[in-house]
Amino acid sequence: MSMIEFHDVEKYYGKFHALKDINLTIDRGEVVTIIGPSGSGKSTLLRTINGLERISDGKLIVNNFDLADKKTNMNRIRKNVGMVFQHFNLYANKDVLDNITIGPELVLKRNKTEVEKEAMDLLDMVGLADKAHNYPAQLSGGQKQRVAIARSLAMQPRAILFDEPTSALDPEMIGDVLDVMQQIAKQGMTMVVVTHEMGFARKVGNRIVFMADGQILEDAHDVNAFFDNPQEPRAKEFLSKIINH
Amino acid sequence: MQEFLNAYSWVNLRFLLDGLWVTIEVSVVSIIFSFIIGTLLGLGRYVQVKYFSAIVGFIIDIIRNLPLLLILFFTYFSLPSIGIRLSVVPASIVAMTIFESAMLAEIVRSGISAVATGQMEAARSNGLTYLQAMRYIVMPQAFRKMIPPIVSQFISLVKDTSLATIILLPDLTEHAQIIYGQNVNYVIPMFVALAAIYFVVNFVLSQASRWLEKRLSRSKIN
Repeated sequence: MSMIEFHDVEKYYGKFHALKDINLTIDRGEVVTIIGPSGSGKSTLLRTINGLERISDGKLIVNNFDLADKKTNMNRIRKNVGMVFQHFNLYANKDVLDNITIGPELVLKRNKTEVEKEAMDLLDMVGLADKAHNYPAQLSGGQKQRVAIARSLAMQPRAILFDEPTSALDPEMIGDVLDVMQQIAKQGMTMVVVTHEMGFARKVGNRIVFMADGQILEDAHDVNAFFDNPQEPRAKEFLSKIINH
Repeated sequence: MQEFLNAYSWVNLRFLLDGLWVTIEVSVVSIIFSFIIGTLLGLGRYVQVKYFSAIVGFIIDIIRNLPLLLILFFTYFSLPSIGIRLSVVPASIVAMTIFESAMLAEIVRSGISAVATGQMEAARSNGLTYLQAMRYIVMPQAFRKMIPPIVSQFISLVKDTSLATIILLPDLTEHAQIIYGQNVNYVIPMFVALAAIYFVVNFVLSQASRWLEKRLSRSKIN
């Protein structure tokens, strides 16, 4: 069963051609990592999936909704597709618990006590139950990102998009975040992860997409084979740069 | 010296305080109205509704770039010609409100813009509608950022009410003028009194603003 389908998708920012003829089908339960040099369109691709960016042409189906159709209510897609940002974007005016519960309460119209109980379980899972009543400004980057992951899990989404979730973190914080992500992957969540963490791509991902200049150059289901022997010269060059430095 | 002190007779001081009361009344009423109107205008300019936002922006720019004095003349001397005859206090309040609304609109707009777009994106990705995101996430943070510039705008509003003496608003400045108009020896004592009273009122306001600013920046939220 496919969760996300790109068919001949194009995206322009004015004259800049950001995504070129994207064709990609992601099945339920897949953990897809998207890698590539900066400016290659990875984040743009990710942001089209929950409608933060609109596509210019082609067809994009997410959870059976057609995103190119103007009549599609984006909120119905976003209810089912969570997003984790590079810079966390926790709500600065809400404490940790409220950051997690506001979505289920306002969007899913669920009962507050029930949602709070679930939120505490999620905080437990990410190891931050003791921070429930702290504000984002009092947390470290790694803690913020784990709260952000809990926030998107609280919506019980069908898929979660990760936009460079560890790029803004100090090295010693990265491990905690990746551990949580690995745990979610194990539970069968569909995940699309834009990342520079090749270790994660190799260990957790079950598919790897290499992008450059707005195109998908390589789409490998055998992750180890990709790392050991990339087919595309651009991918070879990219891997040698980031691995042998 | 005796002449100097005579200027501060009980009667004169009472008269000055009556004027101060008008100054405060006009300032407070104007700031309340302009806060409401300014917020609506600022939002109107921020949300980028086709034509509407451009028109709102255009009006704000015009008002911001006119002298307040001209707006006072307009509300007091020109409005009667289209059948709206306002007495001095309402005319001053209307003029102040028009002018300050435009100023506050810009404070509101920049306050909203200053709340990182990331907050809006996160809220939308979380499934919140645009209005929910504005109400629960963006606006509460924006208002917090707006408090210091709004207070400083309020301080200039208090000082600017003295311009309304030109249409004979019986405010602090006008009352001082009336007092020294009767005795030329009272001119300097009245200037001193005016300076002292305006200073005290505005100093208290600016200290309050500073206190608020400190409190907010120290708070766990910011």
